Formats: sequence, structure tokens, C-alpha cells
Amino acid sequence: MGLKRMLENWSDFRKRDYYENEPYMWGMAIDLNKCIGCGACVTACYAENNLPVVGEYHYGRGHAMHWMRIERYWDEPEGDADIDIKKDAYPERGAHYTPMLCQQCNHAPCEPVCPVAATYHSPDGLNTQVYNRCVGSRYCGNNCPYKVRYFNFFNFWKELPHPLEMQLNPDLSVRDKGVMEKCTFCVQRQRAAKDAAEDAGHPEYVEDGIIQTACQQTCPTQAIVFGNLKDPKSEVATLWREHEVELNRYEQDKTKDFRGYRIFEELNVEPCIVYMDRVRDTEA
Amino acid sequence: MTDYSMKDIEWARINKDVLTSLESPRMAFWVVLAVCAFLVLCGAAAEAYQYKEGLGVALMDRPHFWQLYISNFIFWIGMSHSGTLLSAVLLLTKADWRKPIYRFAEAMTLFSILTAAIFPVIHLGRVWNLYWVLPYPNERTIWPNFRSPLLWDASAIFTYATSSALFLYVGMIPDLAICRDNAKGWRKKLYTTLSLGWMGRAREWLAFRKAYVLMGCFLVPLAVSVHSIVASDFAMSIVPDWHITSFPPYFVAGALYSGCAAIITLFVMLRYVFKFEAYMTTEIMDKVAKLTFAIAMVWNYLNLSEYASIWYSNDMFEHEVLIQKFIGPYWPVVWGMLLCSTVAPFAMAFKKFRHNMWGMFWLSLVIQLGMWLERFQIVSPSLASNHEPWTWAVVWPGTVQLTLTLASFGWFTMLFLIFCKMFPSVSMYEVKEMVFHRREASSRSEMEDLEKVKNDMIKTEEGLA
Amino acid sequence: MSVRRRKKHLLFATFEDFDEARDVVSELKVLDLKEMVVENIELYSPIEHPEVEEILGEFHQPIQRFTFFGAITGAVCAFLLVAAAAQSMFTVQPQGGKAVIPLPADIVVTYEGTILFGVLSTLAAFFIYSGMPHRLRKYYSQKVSEDQIGIEVQMLPENKEKVRAVLEKFGALEIREVTQ
Repeated sequence: MGLKRMLENWSDFRKRDYYENEPYMWGMAIDLNKCIGCGACVTACYAENNLPVVGEYHYGRGHAMHWMRIERYWDEPEGDADIDIKKDAYPERGAHYTPMLCQQCNHAPCEPVCPVAATYHSPDGLNTQVYNRCVGSRYCGNNCPYKVRYFNFFNFWKELPHPLEMQLNPDLSVRDKGVMEKCTFCVQRQRAAKDAAEDAGHPEYVEDGIIQTACQQTCPTQAIVFGNLKDPKSEVATLWREHEVELNRYEQDKTKDFRGYRIFEELNVEPCIVYMDRVRDTEA
Repeated sequence: MTDYSMKDIEWARINKDVLTSLESPRMAFWVVLAVCAFLVLCGAAAEAYQYKEGLGVALMDRPHFWQLYISNFIFWIGMSHSGTLLSAVLLLTKADWRKPIYRFAEAMTLFSILTAAIFPVIHLGRVWNLYWVLPYPNERTIWPNFRSPLLWDASAIFTYATSSALFLYVGMIPDLAICRDNAKGWRKKLYTTLSLGWMGRAREWLAFRKAYVLMGCFLVPLAVSVHSIVASDFAMSIVPDWHITSFPPYFVAGALYSGCAAIITLFVMLRYVFKFEAYMTTEIMDKVAKLTFAIAMVWNYLNLSEYASIWYSNDMFEHEVLIQKFIGPYWPVVWGMLLCSTVAPFAMAFKKFRHNMWGMFWLSLVIQLGMWLERFQIVSPSLASNHEPWTWAVVWPGTVQLTLTLASFGWFTMLFLIFCKMFPSVSMYEVKEMVFHRREASSRSEMEDLEKVKNDMIKTEEGLA
Repeated sequence: MSVRRRKKHLLFATFEDFDEARDVVSELKVLDLKEMVVENIELYSPIEHPEVEEILGEFHQPIQRFTFFGAITGAVCAFLLVAAAAQSMFTVQPQGGKAVIPLPADIVVTYEGTILFGVLSTLAAFFIYSGMPHRLRKYYSQKVSEDQIGIEVQMLPENKEKVRAVLEKFGALEIREVTQ
């Protein structure tokens, strides 16, 4: 660790914006108006990232490993219902779907509390989880306000009958018991795309739309948009701008009541995913 | 000093009484030891099962990533503060009533820490990689993350264990010399080695007293900081009802509280088993009970004011957790804690109760139960009602966790029993000091009284004349 | 305090209580002033007694110095450990938007390091200044650890009788003569 390198590191770090010179800042925009709660994104995530299907018993025990999950909330229906509402039956428009995944917070509360530094923030703006280093203290899981960190409570892959191991994605590992894992914005696909860009001769720039996360690729209504927030022409940056959501604020200053918001941004965690609220028809 | 009881005890008798407690144990001792060993074996079996299968067998889940292992850890670290309070704090304030009872309190400190040290180990997902938490040089130049409160924990616990062990040992050296002078066989060899040739020379006593008081000076801020650091495991997170500024002093107060209750338990037990009535007198129990009561009030204030400040915060997450604590799924734990730790200690306001040994014994067990519940209600309700409503879940600890809890009690008791039979559980030289000073003080005050009477008589005579 | 080749001549006496011991020591000191008889006096007691110890003379035991420098060393070492560890793992330092060497976090470990080294250095000083560990003297009386006070006087063989007289005058319970 030469002195020159140390001083370089320090001066980089003390800049106002540590990520100033980085070409990428991965972000997402999910349109809840388009989301129908079908769960295709969840299935795609399972397939892409070698997630174990734990079964009904373990799911009921809270040991599920779905990095992306569809949260369904029942709201009270807005406006007066024109039909007789029975106590246990909910009219369809009361359901609200939220696909919840790791928000890749720039001020992630899960990062500084790991005792062995198994999680840190990459220059890309991703919250990384280093499976090899994790000893399983689960402090990061507690500190995540979204609870999108998943702990391998059992070794779910240990009894995989042949030839089912062929279903696994070879681009990433299968995690052992005792290790924390979470959504990585399909980092294996990003790496592949960056490698391809390097081969093509423009390593610093991957075109918008080349990298598609598994969930984005599968969504039938194209509710999920993923891309580079630093590229002003990318679809995701355009959406963020349209809904006047800025990354490094815990309270947005909007000129109009746009639909775009970030969940729990008041905790000052700077999440990188904007959700666009449903358009609701309160007249009907 | 108006308390002159114990001034007539012969020094030789002190030696004899305490050394008798080190003799061959009765059958009851072996029975209790066997039960504790059995509990420890059950715990080892449960841990082996968990090691092999994964932490899911402990019935922890998302969001209950932490449960009894962490609350037990805090409970045992908390209990360790009593010894430090009694030895170090009261040493510096020159309270002589601590002298007969601080030895077993300090032993309790050391063994509590050794018991607590088990839990960070078994609660890890990959226990076999535990050593990564320690800062050791390696060829990949990877170090642990010192920003994490868990690392602060590791350094604090290590320092506390080392310092408490050394403090206990140094304080025991003159007593080990006494044991060496009266022992035979393998014990004599052990005590000879451990007492380092202590002969009670002036040079040794002076160095001893200075070093002991200096170590005591270090131990006081250490005790406060250790439990504050354990509290920052919670306070530095953003989980609602954990992220509270008053957590460090609240935990320290709770630690002192449960530690004092544990002292009372062991006080009554040792007094009964070893017949130490002359040394562990009702006056001392009175003082310990008053101290416990005072700490109980401090803890109660911090607990209740925490609710008040949460209520005033207008933070919806914190409000939700607070309400759920009292009427939600974990209400028995919270109300049980309030009953045992807030209501029950008021019995100590009555002198008659304070002087009743067995009453105090049962009360101390009730208080300890209350404090164990307090540790549990810190961990689980906040996780059950965390920020994200979709993940709200209720989990009660399963067999594995409860077995390991009981095993920890068995382990602690086992260590303490062995200590009581190997080393003097009452500090002989300090009791001799206590007796000596009280005798001097009492004879001085007698002389003063006689002087006064003489002067009165002279005045009366002069008046009559 | 013994010269290598010369033999030491000692008288070891036990007394009932501190008053007698104090009188003996004062008397011996007076004797020493007048006639240069006594070479060294040691006091053995079951508890410490500052009065008698004062009469024996000055004991230079600067244990506090050890403690002070030990504590400072601990603080510096602990802080350097944290800072160096953070620097060596620079790539993983971006965590939750926090600085590389977060002073609030480092205060804790520095504090613990101070205390740890302070305690260890005090212990080291204790061993150095008390002369422990050392072998038990053969003439050591076990009654000292029980309830009697021991006085050991080192003198030249010709003065033995004078010293013995003083000891017996103040009611020595037992006197042992030792040559080593």
C-alpha cells in the first residue's frame, strides 16, 4: 500500500460526490400502475439467480428466499362501493401490488454494520454482498428497512436429484447455509454486457437497453425499467426526471404532484428505485 | 461508622470458617454439578444439531434474524456488571460492607462473561469462520470492519474478560497464600503456583494496594463502556425502538440491576450452604437490598421515560412498535417484565422484608426473571413490527433456543460451583481488615464516650461544689 | 538487597498485634540510628497497616507511571489498528455513505485499547515492584497468614543478641534464627 496510492484513495473519497467519475449509477423505475401482480418477475429471479424453492412448510416459517417479492396489500376501496360488500370479501380494486427488491441504497444502512465487511457499495452504485466473506451475523438483515435481505437458514440445495442441477445458472454461485444474499440487479448480466462492450471496443459505455435484469425482461406489462441513471438519455433517467425524483435527497422538492416516489426515502437511505404510484379512479 | 457488628470475630476463625468451605463437598454438590453438566451436554447436542442443519432449526426467520441468542448474550453480559460494581466502584468509594461479598460477585462476573461469550459464537450462520471477526494479519490484507458495533462488542468483551479475570486474580493473591499455607497435596501445589510466593511483606502490600486501586479505577469506566457498546448493537441500527439514544445508559442500569439481584441470590445461597452467617450479615443484606432498590428505580425511570420519548417522537414506525409491545403478540413478555422488575422490587422498601433472607432470595429470582424478559422484549417486538409491514411476523423461540438458554444457566452454575470449592468465596484478608478497622473505630468511640462521661461528671461536681 | 557472597543472618519473630510490631520497629530503628546495628527490617502481615509500613521507610513504587504510559500506548495502538485496517481494505470502505476513518466509531475501540493496556501495564508494574513471583522463604511462618505479624531483621552476627533482646522485650511469640 504505497503512500501515493493511499493519498489518491483519500482524495477520491473526500470529494463531495464519490461517484463523480464513475460512468454508471444503476437505477430502476417500477410503474405500479402497470404492475398486475402476476409474479413473473419473481419466477424469473428464481431462475436467473439460483434461488432455492423452499416449499410450503418453510415458506410458512418465513424462510423463503425470493430476492424479488410481490407484496400485496389490501386497501380500503376508494369512493363508495355500489355493491353490497360482505365482511370477508374484498372488491378487486382494493388490492395493491408492490414488487419489493433490494433498493441498492446509496446510504445503505446494511453496509456499515457487517462485522467482517462482507457488504459494501460498489462504484456502480450497487450494494454488493460478498458471499465468501459472510459469517452470518445477520445484523445487515436487521438493519434493512425493506427487509430485502435473505438468510440461508438451511442448506436448501443439498438434496438436488440429478439432472436437476442442470437448471442452475452457471454465471453465479449457489450459496451455502449461513450466508446472506439479496438482489444484485443481475450483476452477472451486467458483467457479461460490460465484457461484450469491452470486446466491441467501448468499455466505458454500455448502451441503454442492452443490460436487462431478469425481472425486467420477463415482466409482461413492462412495468420495470432498469438502466444507468448517469446516462441522461436512458429510459430510467428520463422517468426519474419526469417524476422529479432526485437521487441524493431524503425529501423531494416537486413542482407538481407527480406519481414517482421512493419508499422510505425519509430514512435518508437514498434508494435507487422509483415507484410510480397507481393512477386511481375515485369517481367510479 | 456506627455499625460495629463483626468487630469481635477472631482472625484465626475467619481463616478456619472460609477454609472449611473448600473441603470435600457433600453429596448435594455432586448432584447439582451432575444436573448442570447434563444441561450443558443437552446444549452441546442442540448446538451440534444447529451447526449441521442450519440456523433455521432455531425457528428464527425473516424478519426475526435475532432472537434468544442475542437476548441471552445481553443478559449474561449484564449480569457480569454486578461484580464490577461491587468490587471496583465500592472499592473506590471505600464502602467496607462490600468486603465479605465481593469475591463471589467478581467470580460471578468472570463466569457470566465466559457464559455470554458462547452466544456470539453459536448465533453465527457460519460458525467455522468465526475467527474472521478477529483482527489478525493475513496475506489478503483483509481485516474486520471496525465500523460495525459487533466489532466494538468483540473488543469490549475481550478487554472486559481480560481485565475482570486479572482483577479477580490479583485480588485473590493474599487469599491464595492463606490457602497455600493450609493445604495439602495437589491443592498445595496449585495454590503455591498461583499465589506467586506472596508472604505479606510491606513492599508487597503497598504495591498490591496501589495496583489494585488503579485497576479498579480502570474497571469502572470499562464496565460502563462495555454495556454501552453492547447497547449500541441496537442503538446504532435503524430498527424502530432500537434506535434510541438512551439505550446505552438504559442497558447499563439494567445490567447493574440484574447483577445486584444475582448477588442477592448467591449471597443467600452461600450463606446457607457454607454457614457464613457471621460474615454475610443482615446489615450487609440490608445495604445490598437498598442498593438494588436504588438501581431498580433508576432502571424504571429510564424504561418509562423511553416510552415517553417514543410517544413524543411522532415517528409512525416507533409508535407502531411501542403500541404493539403492549397489546400485540408479545404482550405477556412485556407485562411480565413490568410486573417482575417494576412492581416487585417495591417489596425492598420495607425493612422487615430486607432482613428476611429467603424473602430476598425469591425476590431476587423474580427480578432476574423480569430482567431476562426485558432482554427478550427488546429484541423480538421491534423485529416483529419493523418498517416493512409485509414482513411482520410472530415467532416464539423453539426448543433449540430454549435448550441453549438452559444450558447457559447450567454452564454458569457449573463454573461457579467449581470455583466455590477451589477458591475462597469470601475474601479472608479483607474481612480481617474490616474486623480490624471496626474494632479500632469502636474502641475509639468507646474512649470518646468515656471521656464525655468523665467530663460530665467533672462538670456536675463543679456545679455541686 | 543481599550481596552475593556474603551470608545473610536473619532473625524472624512473630508478634500478637500491630501495636507490638510498631513498637519493635521503632525501637529497632532507634537502635540502628545509635549503633548501626540493623541492616534491613521486613514486615510480614496478614493485612496491610499503613502506620507500621510508614515507620519502615520510603518505598519507591511509581506504579502510576506505568499505568499512564501503558494507557497512552493502548490508545495509540488501538487507533492505529482501526485506521490501518480501514486503509488496507480501501475498496470496501464505501459503506452507507460513511467516511474512511469514522472518528465516532473509532473512539470506541480506542477507548477499549486504552483500558486494556492500562490494566496490563498496571499488572506488570505490580509484579515488578512487589518482587513477585518469587520462592517462599523457608523460615516463613504460616501464622503470618492467619493472625500474627512477622518481623524479619537482617543484621551482622555479632549484633544478634542485641536484636534478640529488643524482640523479646516486646513479647515475641516465636523467634527463628536463619542463616542463608
